[in-house]
Amino acid sequence: MSEQNDSNDGNGRNDQPGNRLRRELPAEVPAPAPEAGQPAAGEPQQRLTGRQRLVKGLWPPRFTRAQLIVAVLLFGLGFGLAVQVASNSDTDSALRGARQEDLVRILDELDSRTQRLQDEKQGLEKQRQELQSSSDQAAEARRQTAEKERQLGILAGTVAAQGPGITMTIEDTKGTVQADMLLDAIQELRAAGAEAIQVNGVRVVTGTYFTDAGKSVSVDGNKINAPYRFKVIGKPQDLEPALNIPGGVVQTLEKEQATVTVERSDKIVVDALRQAKRPDYARSSSQ
Amino acid sequence: MIAVLGLVVGVVAGLLVRPEVPAVVEPYLPIAVVAALDAVFGGLRAMLDGIFDDKVFVVSFLSNVVVAALIVFLGDKLGVGAQLSTGVVVVLGIRIFSNAAAIRRHVFRA
Repeated sequence: MSEQNDSNDGNGRNDQPGNRLRRELPAEVPAPAPEAGQPAAGEPQQRLTGRQRLVKGLWPPRFTRAQLIVAVLLFGLGFGLAVQVASNSDTDSALRGARQEDLVRILDELDSRTQRLQDEKQGLEKQRQELQSSSDQAAEARRQTAEKERQLGILAGTVAAQGPGITMTIEDTKGTVQADMLLDAIQELRAAGAEAIQVNGVRVVTGTYFTDAGKSVSVDGNKINAPYRFKVIGKPQDLEPALNIPGGVVQTLEKEQATVTVERSDKIVVDALRQAKRPDYARSSSQ
Repeated sequence: MIAVLGLVVGVVAGLLVRPEVPAVVEPYLPIAVVAALDAVFGGLRAMLDGIFDDKVFVVSFLSNVVVAALIVFLGDKLGVGAQLSTGVVVVLGIRIFSNAAAIRRHVFRA
């Protein structure tokens, strides 16, 4: 629109600017304006260009009534402008100027967003709980496994053990004690509930064997000499009578002129160890 | 000159004081400011044309502001406040542009 005016005004401007413009702007420039409008700008001379009038109005400053009134109005405008800009650029009160329906819409969006986030949070918390309980279960399983490993280690001879038990010492000055007698003793002890046994520093396990080696005996290939010292962990009240029953181990050995002493003790330490051997063929069938 | 000073002082005062805008006039302030801007541009153009009259300026300024606020108020009451204020801003913007074109012709002769 302004571009059209631009081209149209090219010739009409110098002839009758007032008339043309008045026609375009009826509200701003009513009819009496030309007569009454002179005191502000057009007083000194009749024919001034717009630029000259602008300069004249700006400098020197004059305290006319018109200037003051316009100044007051412009003060109001500037004030309102600044206030509006300031309140609009406040980030925290960006919603201040918003309309009711916009606010309602924003509120709805926030509500649904909150709902979504709540759902997400609940899901995540549930997941976390599951993970936590499963990790608790895993830790419990690990603990039980370790416990079992220790127990089995005692049986397999891979870990040292201590506890109440007895010490049996067989003095064999004449060299009459045979391997089968020692084996009998071991079996008697096992039958009486012995849990860990070592003979002269050799741990006795399930696969232990005794062989005669001249005047002495070898256990699992390790030659041991008299006196044979058995360290046995188990219930002493069971172990000692088992050895001493009539016709039992002690009597049999004493018949061979060996001396047998059995001592109960509250703390027997079985610290001879075995290497854990991995079986060549057998594999665990439990998952 | 005094008028320009008034504008500058108004802006500075508005920035320094930062008054809390009452909630009642809050929706009308931006429209009123635009309407006042339109009146100011019209007045500037009239001055360049040599037909400026302070009485006319005051009346047009105030009536512009009041009518603009009234339209927005009415629009809010009718439930079309957003659309109506957009319309007011468009109309005032067109007037500001045409006034600015006239001022430009005066000042730059182009």
